[in-house]
Amino acid sequence: MKCSEVKELISRYVDDDLGPDEREAFTLHVRDCAGCRTELGEIQALDTLFASAERFTAPPGFATRVLAHLGEQQRSTFWSFLAFHRTLFRAAEFVLALVVFVIGVVSGNVLMTGRTSEKQTVLANVQTSFSLDLFQATPPGSVGGAYVSLVGAADER
Amino acid sequence: MRPFADDTELTRRFTQGDISAFAELVRKYQDRIYNLCRYMLQDSDDARDAAQETFLKAHSKVKEFRADSAVYSWLYRIAVNTCLDYKKKTRPDQLEDESLLSDVASADPSPERLYQSKELSDILQTALQKLPEEMRAALVLRKIEELSYEEIAEVLHISVGTVKSRISRARDDLRRLLRGKF
Repeated sequence: MKCSEVKELISRYVDDDLGPDEREAFTLHVRDCAGCRTELGEIQALDTLFASAERFTAPPGFATRVLAHLGEQQRSTFWSFLAFHRTLFRAAEFVLALVVFVIGVVSGNVLMTGRTSEKQTVLANVQTSFSLDLFQATPPGSVGGAYVSLVGAADER
Repeated sequence: MRPFADDTELTRRFTQGDISAFAELVRKYQDRIYNLCRYMLQDSDDARDAAQETFLKAHSKVKEFRADSAVYSWLYRIAVNTCLDYKKKTRPDQLEDESLLSDVASADPSPERLYQSKELSDILQTALQKLPEEMRAALVLRKIEELSYEEIAEVLHISVGTVKSRISRARDDLRRLLRGKF
């Protein structure tokens, strides 16, 4: 096994992660290689350092503070929820008012248009009613009507 | 320091919105999560804030929790992501911490000096801060939280091969940073 290969395996060797064949080859190399042996020693010293390093505990009252923050977070979420829905409600009110206004304007226009047509019809009827054209000078069944028809027939001849 | 395995009942109640189950989860895992955040961020206030944020996120994301995964693994994942996203506040004493590695070397080069556990933690944390975050996370989960390669792969959402590679590179970088310092 070459030094470059051994260096790759040092970490796994220290973690007891090598298979039997790899472990044997590794051990044989390190026994005869001062450089790799030094490097292995340094990594093992690191492990000793880790093993003796302090294990910290959470500061006093940590759990209580977490739960207190959770309560604040939930209250804040509730008020945000309410504020958002109030804003939404206000917006809905405005939209509804706008819709009612538009419907009113349109309805008003329709009504006005209808009345105008009606007015025109009435006006036309009045004009017709009082028109002299209603009075036929020589209705067909009258003496004048007969005369007109006779005169008209002579002219044609 | 192995995570507790039997969280089945607790997890069931938590996912059903039981607030007392959530409180129990916080009390059970607060030390592990805080410890992880401490080694990821170094500063105690930053670690406290990140750990708190982790549990609040867990509560708000309860519907995203998959029943086939372990709740501690899920908490670790949220914690790591929170630390990776965390914007560290600049504090003057952080500059002192960053020079800790050189101070230790110059103060007393004698190999007979015995370091107290706290000093060793300080040295280790300072050196860890110099590693890329993904490598730091893999190494801390392995050597501080003592998770297996498979558990780390699940927490970080990467393959086992990538876990091994990151841990190997992290160890190598750390070895070079701390060479001759302890």
